[in-house]
Amino acid sequence: MFANPELRALRRDDSPQCDAQVALLQAMDDWRARPDVAILLAELEEFSAGAELEQCPGLAALFTPGSDAARELTTGFSAMTCAALAEWPLGHVTLRHFTDGVTSTILLARAVNVTLSLVAIDGEGLGLRPESATASFGPNHTWEHVLGGSAAVELIECLPTGPRQAKLSRREIEIGPGSIQFRDGQRDARLLRRIDGALVTLRLQRRRPNADATREYDLTSGALLHQAAGNPRDSRLELMLALLGRMDRKDAAPHMAGLACGEASAALRWQALRECLALDTQLGFTALATIATRTEDALSGPAGALRAQLIEAHPQLQELEPCPM
Amino acid sequence: MNLPKIDLSSLPDLDTLTGLFGSLLHTSRIVESDDSIVQLMAYVYETTIH
Repeated sequence: MFANPELRALRRDDSPQCDAQVALLQAMDDWRARPDVAILLAELEEFSAGAELEQCPGLAALFTPGSDAARELTTGFSAMTCAALAEWPLGHVTLRHFTDGVTSTILLARAVNVTLSLVAIDGEGLGLRPESATASFGPNHTWEHVLGGSAAVELIECLPTGPRQAKLSRREIEIGPGSIQFRDGQRDARLLRRIDGALVTLRLQRRRPNADATREYDLTSGALLHQAAGNPRDSRLELMLALLGRMDRKDAAPHMAGLACGEASAALRWQALRECLALDTQLGFTALATIATRTEDALSGPAGALRAQLIEAHPQLQELEPCPM
Repeated sequence: MNLPKIDLSSLPDLDTLTGLFGSLLHTSRIVESDDSIVQLMAYVYETTIH
């Protein structure tokens, strides 16, 4: 096996790699400290806290037609990174990045539920992949500015017509350098159909907190194929509920009842209710009965049905009253 | 009151199940990779005691 002598030497002494890493970290810190970048990072925090894009002039300029701000930001970043890597080839760029040979992304900045990324997609690789036959709609807003390359994209607008069906309107457009698009992820999806060369974009995305599920529909029939949690918090809590249930942690039951009766997605609340019922019959059934009596609650129907089913199996449960909340 | 112990597996799920955040049915759409997709990665660390 061939090992580069410089790399082999690192086995005995890793200080060159450590030095390179310190230098790369410093380069990134210097970039973040540049006045124009520092303003953007501060605005990203405000945007994450709920400000409108127009209230964040630096960020808005990145997605304003005719503005050079996006190009200046990204070329400045690329020049800085390439110079640092040229000087310190053993260093590692300390920003989250990903590539699968077709799509490459690097996360320039992040604030809680907001991300600003540089994205490159290779047209040749895209052409080798099967055309997507589904479109996903999730609780996020996306702004995208094309910096280089051109592409044929299909825009899909989703109008749900029932719990498992949507009407999808489809149209194809061409995008190229300077194109700017906004998508409300619950209504709009975009599918790349063809890219000439490589498509490079700057992408700003804001995920809505405590949001509804992401839904994946069949493009031809509009049938719902899959539904997933709209935010990572829901999934994290659901895993915790399952773990506490398997550990038979009865002390978690009051928290589960609170979650089931509180403000969260229907899917998460239902799992909290199930786990609570299994851990503590009295608390769980009281929460179930409470939800069943709330006519405006999305879960009142299923809760009412489950309440009736449990009373039939265990008539003594009828004596438990809904809690006054 | 003598309350029954309820078995979790006897409690129904909702009509439409909700998968974990980031799960997709058709992974071919991964080319549209964005904040709504999660990729799980396994890391293997080698540690040396000096």
